[in-house]
Amino acid sequence: MILNVNGSRHEVKAEARMLLDILREDLNLVGTKEGCGVGMCGACTVLVDGKPFSSCHLLAEQVTGKEITTIEGLSRDGNLHPVQQAFLDKGAFQCAYCTPGFVLTTIALLNENPSPSDNEIREYLSGNLCRCGSYQNILQAVKAASEMI
Amino acid sequence: MIGKSVPMLDALARVTGEVDYMVNLRLPNMLVGKIVRSQSPHAKLLKVDTTNALQVSGVVAILTGADLGANAFYGAAIKDQGVVAVDRVRYVGEPVAAIAAENEDVAEEAAMLLDIEYEELPSVFDAQEAIQSGAPTLHEKYPNNIFIHSKLRHGDMDAAFAEADEIFEDTFTSPLAQQSSLEPHVTAAQWDGDQLTVWAGTQAPYMVRRVLSENFGISQEKIRVVVPSLGGSYGGKGHIRIEPLVAAMSRKTNGRPVKFLLSRAEEFVTVTKHAASITLKTGVKRDGTFTARQVTVYWNGGAYADASPLLVPQGMVRAVGPYRIPAVHVDSYGVYTNLPPAGAYRGAMSSQATWAYESQMDIIARKMGFDPLEFRLKNLFVSGDHFATGETLHDVHFVDCLEASAKAMNPSTSLRAKVGRGYGVMMKSTVSTSKSQARMSLADDGKVTLFTSTVEMGQGAHTAMAQIAAESLRIPFEMVRVVGPDTNVTPFDSTTSASRTTNMMGNAVIAAGTSLKRKLIELAAPLLEIPSEELLAENGKVFAKETSISYAEILKRNNLNSLEETGEYSTASKMDPETGQGKATPHWHQGAGAAEVEVDTETGHVTILRYTSAAFAGRVVNPHLAQLQNDGNVIFGLGPTLMEEMILDGGQVTNPNLADYAIPSIRDIPLELISVCIESDEQELHGIGEMTLPPVAPAIANAIEDAIGVRIKDLPITAEKILHALQEKSKP
Ligand code: FES
Ligand code: FES
Repeated sequence: MILNVNGSRHEVKAEARMLLDILREDLNLVGTKEGCGVGMCGACTVLVDGKPFSSCHLLAEQVTGKEITTIEGLSRDGNLHPVQQAFLDKGAFQCAYCTPGFVLTTIALLNENPSPSDNEIREYLSGNLCRCGSYQNILQAVKAASEMI
Repeated sequence: MIGKSVPMLDALARVTGEVDYMVNLRLPNMLVGKIVRSQSPHAKLLKVDTTNALQVSGVVAILTGADLGANAFYGAAIKDQGVVAVDRVRYVGEPVAAIAAENEDVAEEAAMLLDIEYEELPSVFDAQEAIQSGAPTLHEKYPNNIFIHSKLRHGDMDAAFAEADEIFEDTFTSPLAQQSSLEPHVTAAQWDGDQLTVWAGTQAPYMVRRVLSENFGISQEKIRVVVPSLGGSYGGKGHIRIEPLVAAMSRKTNGRPVKFLLSRAEEFVTVTKHAASITLKTGVKRDGTFTARQVTVYWNGGAYADASPLLVPQGMVRAVGPYRIPAVHVDSYGVYTNLPPAGAYRGAMSSQATWAYESQMDIIARKMGFDPLEFRLKNLFVSGDHFATGETLHDVHFVDCLEASAKAMNPSTSLRAKVGRGYGVMMKSTVSTSKSQARMSLADDGKVTLFTSTVEMGQGAHTAMAQIAAESLRIPFEMVRVVGPDTNVTPFDSTTSASRTTNMMGNAVIAAGTSLKRKLIELAAPLLEIPSEELLAENGKVFAKETSISYAEILKRNNLNSLEETGEYSTASKMDPETGQGKATPHWHQGAGAAEVEVDTETGHVTILRYTSAAFAGRVVNPHLAQLQNDGNVIFGLGPTLMEEMILDGGQVTNPNLADYAIPSIRDIPLELISVCIESDEQELHGIGEMTLPPVAPAIANAIEDAIGVRIKDLPITAEKILHALQEKSKP
């Protein structure tokens, strides 16, 4: 089975496995985290053809032929993606276990809606949990990113 | 450097997903560990037969109680918990055996083939039921299930209650809750002969080392504990948890390392917040002063004492409240039940206690016709007052905290219908006796390494310590790097908990930096040919009026590759065990909060319109990180206030996942959230990891009563409880 991840093709074992496990274990893309394993926390968020999905909830075979983006696939030529830059500028993290998921969900949000309102941000990001409670800075980062993009 | 909002040292790695958490740890030849857990809340363990499980190919070893020998039991304070169960299980989820295997599937298969037989025993889940005569006993040494009873005795209660015009008696409860760090407990261990290395997601590496050394009967020097950055902890990884099990398992694998990574469901049976029932009897005079307070607290400790013997005495002093009350008695009981063991949960014991005393403040104010804010301000402790332990209070800023929260709330404006305001103030002790050491090493390129066993768990402690190091040694912040914890390399620290780090480790770092600076000045004096008394240090240089020499140059000219100094800071407080008189804590944590809420009386839904919090910080090290901590506390606190509760059925957790156990999302946060830090002239460094959390629940409950006239006394304040209370209220 072939997976397209961050612009490269990877041959992986074709068995019924979750995308999250393949990313972390086979491809060593450990920026994607498991928080809940049941699609509730967003720590495992990846983009599939630009849309955010919980990779703990996706069978790898569901995404063959699609373009998968993880946190490792964001920076270009050593430059951070503008959303990462905004999270950095606003210090929108504490333990940062949730950060890759928030960054990817934010990218998807801003693709769909380049200048979201506070309410729209809250709605769109409500599937990503941050137990450290960095939400205020995350809100600021999303707004800053929407101005940068 | 202190007072600057520098980004976290590894901020870049935090936005690129490159922080090396325990979950990422991979070691050569590493095995997967799996815990097999009890299905029964209380039973004799008749048999654990591993014969069939060991046949599964890929299973390397299985650990059972039979392997453990003399040192089968461990605990942070009371050694009552089997590394795995020995002859009895006491809660659903207790480890009965552990498996080390080549991969998870194999471990899974072997787990199914373990042959375990139980003989059920009667069980008890509620702390107040567990202390009744006839209740099943969990541990023979404590026949009535009370493993600790802390007492505070201050003043003549009968006389003091006789002086009161009104006496209020109310009971407030908090349920079992889960710390829920997004990164679960992860531990790996490897033996090399009699040397043990443990990679642990823990807040207390040196405690882990000590307990393991006692358990295995080897000296502490033979054990190395390494702690990477944690993906959150909130008390859940404090003290000692699965480390003994992991170390015992890896002892059977011929030197191969074993890594255990708990599932979310396992997290719920590994450690919890103490469920608590707190009864306050408070005597008040018509002039709005107090005469007496009697507090009775039952802490549900679960099946094993774990950290409770350390926390219950803290829970006693934390239950009194920040007000002048001449006579105070507290009885704080730690009770065994057939539930998972309880431990610290951010704002430990203080959250349950503040929920009680700050809720009662409003009940009293309403009944006696006082303004809740004025009533608090009138009675709050100020510097020089005496606490119920007899100790004199210094650097007291409760009034400042409350006024700062209230001011941002704009209390003079009137509110629409179904909108209300409420306040809460907290007073919390820190660890009473503890020690921190820090070592600073200057290299001949002018760079400094700070060796510290402080755990970075998202609070930004390593960054704050680097700032303090830079300031004390007078060097640019960029020149400092931080190493640790690694008990082979970094010096002693009691624990990263109870908001003690900025104060304790901060002062150890200052001590190290100051003596290193002094040494540099002494070494520079002959080089500059100026007496050391006339020399100063700044910006990585020792200087006098016209001349200066860099630290790097001082080392080179003295033929030194490096120069290092260790600093230490320790505190010791002591209370009389019978009366609680003495000193409870080196200093008190002080915080406040004010909430403005709107209640939808059709649905019971509570919207937090505004919330303002204030924490006493002494001197703020990093305003940006402080804001994150203070906001984070409030947001964390919304969980137990409005939604978090572990549901149990026959001792079994029925919602052990983040779908059925809700924690706050970005949709739940206040529409407007402001956090303030209060500084003082004394400029002492204080931790701020918890101060703004405990006031959240009572401030919101008080605001709800202000809005719609109903009082909730049992957390969490769900929509259902609000609707029910409204119904009761409208009954004729
Ligand atoms: S781990 Fe996938 S949503 Fe939580
Ligand atoms: S920063 Fe810790 S969970 Fe979000």
